[in-house]
Amino acid sequence: MKKTLSTLAPFLGIILVVALWFLVCRLGIFSTYVLPPPEKVFHSFLKMLKSGEIFQDVIISLVRILKGFAIAFLLAFLLGMFRSLVPSSEKYYNCIVQFFRNVPPLSLIPLLILWCGIGETTKTVIIVLASFFPMYLNIVKGFTGCDQKLLEVGDAFGYTRFEKFKHIILPYASADILVGMRIGMGYSWRAIIGAEMIAASSGIGHMILFAQEMSRTDKVIVGIFVVGIVGLVTDKLFGILLRKLFKGNGENGWN
Amino acid sequence: MAGIELKQIQKTYPVDGHTIHVLKGIDLQIPEKSITVILGRSGCGKTTLLRLVGGLESPDSGEIHFDTAHKTAFVFQESRLMPWLNVWDNVKFGLKKQPCLDATIQNIIDTVGLKGFEKAFPHQLSGGMQQRVAIARALAYEPSFIMMDEPFAALDYFTRNQMQKELIRLQKNRGASILFVTHSIDEALLLGHKIAIIENGQIKKEFLIETDSDERDLLAEELIALKREIIQQLDL
Repeated sequence: MKKTLSTLAPFLGIILVVALWFLVCRLGIFSTYVLPPPEKVFHSFLKMLKSGEIFQDVIISLVRILKGFAIAFLLAFLLGMFRSLVPSSEKYYNCIVQFFRNVPPLSLIPLLILWCGIGETTKTVIIVLASFFPMYLNIVKGFTGCDQKLLEVGDAFGYTRFEKFKHIILPYASADILVGMRIGMGYSWRAIIGAEMIAASSGIGHMILFAQEMSRTDKVIVGIFVVGIVGLVTDKLFGILLRKLFKGNGENGWN
Repeated sequence: MAGIELKQIQKTYPVDGHTIHVLKGIDLQIPEKSITVILGRSGCGKTTLLRLVGGLESPDSGEIHFDTAHKTAFVFQESRLMPWLNVWDNVKFGLKKQPCLDATIQNIIDTVGLKGFEKAFPHQLSGGMQQRVAIARALAYEPSFIMMDEPFAALDYFTRNQMQKELIRLQKNRGASILFVTHSIDEALLLGHKIAIIENGQIKKEFLIETDSDERDLLAEELIALKREIIQQLDL
């Protein structure tokens, strides 16, 4: 009984929300335009699945994210590595990093449209800006938080600075790097939807906004669900990757 | 005699605005191909001295002179294993990309009594086993000079005994020089060819033991007398 309950636990919340939604619609508290009933949303979802239009938008958004995410990761990793190998350099750029960290990427859209147009570049830059900081901060935390005692082992065996980075600092930081990537991925999703609502003619964000303009609230809700589901799936994949790579090491407390 | 010579080594540490003199002019000759034990109560500067000889820190003043080219390995108080590497890879850690025979590594792992644990990760081992991996890591490096900082402190009586015997055997077979730090008088008497008592940051007295280290009996007259003298020196 206890086991069945714990397997069903994640679904209970969902069932409750849908039931409540269903009930509110049945009671006619809101018009179907403001809140379409679950069956209508589900029907639209199936229709969009059959026609394939939903996949098209998801793939377009995903490709944008992967592109921006890859660039952001590369930048964050290289800068984090530089920060770790030359710790004294931090004071020169820390202020700028902290400044941009506090600027929401979406607030830069007007400028970016002016500079890069409404093409793919703007969206890529938005994702880079959104995912860079969580990744950079986690990578730096991982690189600089390395156990000094382990680094001394490297010293004792005559490791060079780069060898210590490769064989001690990098493996030590890998859990933090992956956590940073996981958070960065979540931030990318949030940012791309916003960016696509403002400056795009395709992608999930655009699809949601377009549906709203067409007064298709059901499609808006489908879009929101799809964003949530794809986000959940990518996050789960990172979770699995983390567990696979650090099997059992968590007990040791190093990650 | 060739070996390592320490001349007037001084070392201070700043602690909360004060300067603490840890080593106040150490003069010590560490002979080659033998075990030199540094004995003293905790906080007397034993570990600091070892770290200076091992090059992990530099002295404020004084000189450390190595007579011959040397390859040093360090065994720390804690095992300091890489948590993401298994026993086998941890033992090979000091070798970097240097080619080595699998049989050699296996032999060393067997020596420290960890046969069958090659694929185990540090968190799956007991404290004593972890320390044995750390010792194996130092041995695999094939050093001519090994520095050991209370390496057997975390081991139980039986393993400690076994490891001490193993150390004596290894030292004889390989002719390595060992600088061994401990606070155990018995351990010092069992292992040391030379025992240097350190107190208040200075070498208080040095003892030489002529008996071969694998033939020693702690209950022999000579060693009991020596123990008495060491206790006297340590003001216990």
